Amino acid sequence: MEQEKTLSEQESLRLITIMINKAKESYHDTGIGAIMWGAVIAVCSLVRLSEVQFDYRLPFDIYLLTLVAIIPQIFISIKEKRERKVKSYDDAYLDYIWLGFGITIFLLIHISNNIFGEWGSWSNEYRSITGKEAPMRFSEFVSPLFLMLYGLPTFITGAACKFKPMLWGGIFCWVCCVVTVYTTIKIDLLLTALSAITAWFIPGILMEVEYRKYKKEQALLNV
Amino acid sequence: MFKDLDPILHSQLRLAVMSVLISVKDAEFTFLKEKTNATAGNLSVQIQKLKEAGYIDVIKQFKDNYPQTICKITATGIGAFEEYVKNLQVYLTQPK
Repeated sequence: MEQEKTLSEQESLRLITIMINKAKESYHDTGIGAIMWGAVIAVCSLVRLSEVQFDYRLPFDIYLLTLVAIIPQIFISIKEKRERKVKSYDDAYLDYIWLGFGITIFLLIHISNNIFGEWGSWSNEYRSITGKEAPMRFSEFVSPLFLMLYGLPTFITGAACKFKPMLWGGIFCWVCCVVTVYTTIKIDLLLTALSAITAWFIPGILMEVEYRKYKKEQALLNV
Repeated sequence: MFKDLDPILHSQLRLAVMSVLISVKDAEFTFLKEKTNATAGNLSVQIQKLKEAGYIDVIKQFKDNYPQTICKITATGIGAFEEYVKNLQVYLTQPK
């Protein structure tokens, strides 16, 4: 670009439009975080499904894997921030949205564990009095709550970054949320795994491919 | 009535830099170089002019033992850019 080239009014407006669009197209997430969380949630759901299906129990709660995954996520976030050459206004908002999502998920786990405790004793009492199983299982209604939450930040991120796979992934979570209200725990877990793959794992891989392509272009430009 | 276009902004490279910076929170020098396709020397001179006009803030720091320059548009810069676009629109919509 020349140093002091005088522009006509039309050229100025055209240049402004081009540069604003170039800046907007500079969002390049590595996709590693999305791949990791997609895989973690899918594995947790499928392992829990196998526990229910084949009637066995692991010596630990498989969902503890989500707590372990926070550690690499912290390192991924720090590395991505350090490598980023530009900070958009959307980045800051999206960081808060995902942080809020994480906090909300752990609050929901805490609440549902407490309800499980209460429900368990009520269910046992019902069985001892009537001799029958309680007509409603609380566990059948946990998945829709989580799927409802999974959809929110995914949909917002997809819309803000104009990244359609994530936008549709968010919508898919909400569709599964509605479906799981009426299905058994096995189908709930299967749909949760499928949602994690659709909302995060696949978009994450697509982001990663894009990011590699972008890095390769940058290397060629020697920037 | 036509107002004179801001001479600081009415230059190809400086306008390109300001157009990028108005769209983002902040950007590294290398990012601006990549988006504007300018040479490092050229870009440094124009960034200095924008800084002297008070349109951008330039933060120089070290990242992994390498110097890093971060540019960020100021409130004065946003005002000047908005005024410039408004004046451009006047030029384009009204007959001379």
